[in-house]
Amino acid sequence: MWHIIITSLPEMISAMLQYTIPLAIISFIFGLILAVLTALIKFIQPSENKLVRYPWLVLRAIANFYVWLFRSTPLLVQLFIIFFGLPSAGIELAPFLAAVIGFSLNTGAYASETIRSALMSVPQDQWYAAYTLNFTTRQTLMKIVLPQAVRIALPPLSNSFIGLVKDTSLASSITILEMFQVSQQITAKNYQPLLMYSLAAFLYAVICTLLTFLQHYLERRTSRYVKGSEA
Amino acid sequence: MITLKNVVKTYDDKTVLKDLSVDFPDGKTTVILGPSGSGKSTLLRSLDLLVRPESGTIDFGDISLDYSKPVSKKQSFDIRKKTSMVFQNWNLFPNLTVLQNVTTAPITVLKRPKKQTEQEARQYLAQVGLAEYADRYPSQLSGGQQQRVSICRAVAMNPEYVLLDEPTSALDPELETQVLLILEDLSKMGQSMILVTHNMEFARSVADKIIFVEDGDILFDGTPDEFFNHPTTRIKDFLSGITFNDTEK
Repeated sequence: MWHIIITSLPEMISAMLQYTIPLAIISFIFGLILAVLTALIKFIQPSENKLVRYPWLVLRAIANFYVWLFRSTPLLVQLFIIFFGLPSAGIELAPFLAAVIGFSLNTGAYASETIRSALMSVPQDQWYAAYTLNFTTRQTLMKIVLPQAVRIALPPLSNSFIGLVKDTSLASSITILEMFQVSQQITAKNYQPLLMYSLAAFLYAVICTLLTFLQHYLERRTSRYVKGSEA
Repeated sequence: MITLKNVVKTYDDKTVLKDLSVDFPDGKTTVILGPSGSGKSTLLRSLDLLVRPESGTIDFGDISLDYSKPVSKKQSFDIRKKTSMVFQNWNLFPNLTVLQNVTTAPITVLKRPKKQTEQEARQYLAQVGLAEYADRYPSQLSGGQQQRVSICRAVAMNPEYVLLDEPTSALDPELETQVLLILEDLSKMGQSMILVTHNMEFARSVADKIIFVEDGDILFDGTPDEFFNHPTTRIKDFLSGITFNDTEK
């Protein structure tokens, strides 16, 4: 048994480093950017100025449609449409790019609701206090509201990130040789499905455990100002 | 001087300010009294546009504004620059240290130099007895201490008027006294203040002018002496109603 593990580990770890982890990190970064933009578009009330108001309402409709679309359809189906479907419409994407696009859009849709709820959890009085000091909406967001929202959003965002790490296994279905795909290939050769899939599961668990430590570290850092926090 | 004329504010179908006109003189402390829900806070918040009345005008030094017309960013900035609000629940920014709570607005909004602003902020904090708390977070302070910080935050913007919305209502009597002493000092220094309070003793000692509001109307606008020593029947009822006195039973 140990022999099989030792011979297949390098291949699996290499797939993890080459595909699983980059896919997860890159998609999460883009997803987070999308999520913040989407959340802000839905959260900020447009001013009375009509030149700003109508474009903003259009943006908001787009944001609502986007979140609805990606939460209402399975991630696997989204990946299939992007990779296998779009070429029929003349858009051909490399597997890795297609995966990044699919994962980013999916993560962005879910995380945008997390961030929106974190923004809503900051009391209205904080806005009043900032406005009476003449902060602009942007300054209030950057200096006051977002720093408080980040703390609230961290645990559910960590959920999203950890979920994404595991969801990268779906990329195997669009021809990417990520860790799970490699474990399937090795299994096809050595007929040890229990061992190989357990090994894959273990490696996912290792990544996710490290992420959990990262989450705890970030939580401590962003909670410095909260009563009773250790830091 | 701030002059409000014919100010009307309604929430849904309830009229909170009924065609109200009033002056707030410079360098004086004006105290707004009245029962809960009378429109006191709404009146105060109209002054720095946290509340937008439907109609009426405000004249504030060189700025005149018609509430019924759209307010430009510049107008709202100019009015808020002349005022600073102290809230009932102080509303400090929990993610910033005490010092940053006082300095962030002057540095960000007024583009004041950081070093000098911090020095001044430390002086303000020392004046309210919180010099050694500068680097703590608000959550590590008591309510009374937080309210004193929020007064520093308001004063650090060099406003013409400090607006105080029931600044001691959420504090126990001992903490309240700490805050009132600071407000009394500010008042004596000639800082223009408009104060909503339920503390009659304090109103009597600090007010240069008293406004009594009920149901969105101004029922009294005059000196503390008139208000406390020659009250109308309604004011008499109000004053005796809020004083605990079981000999009347």
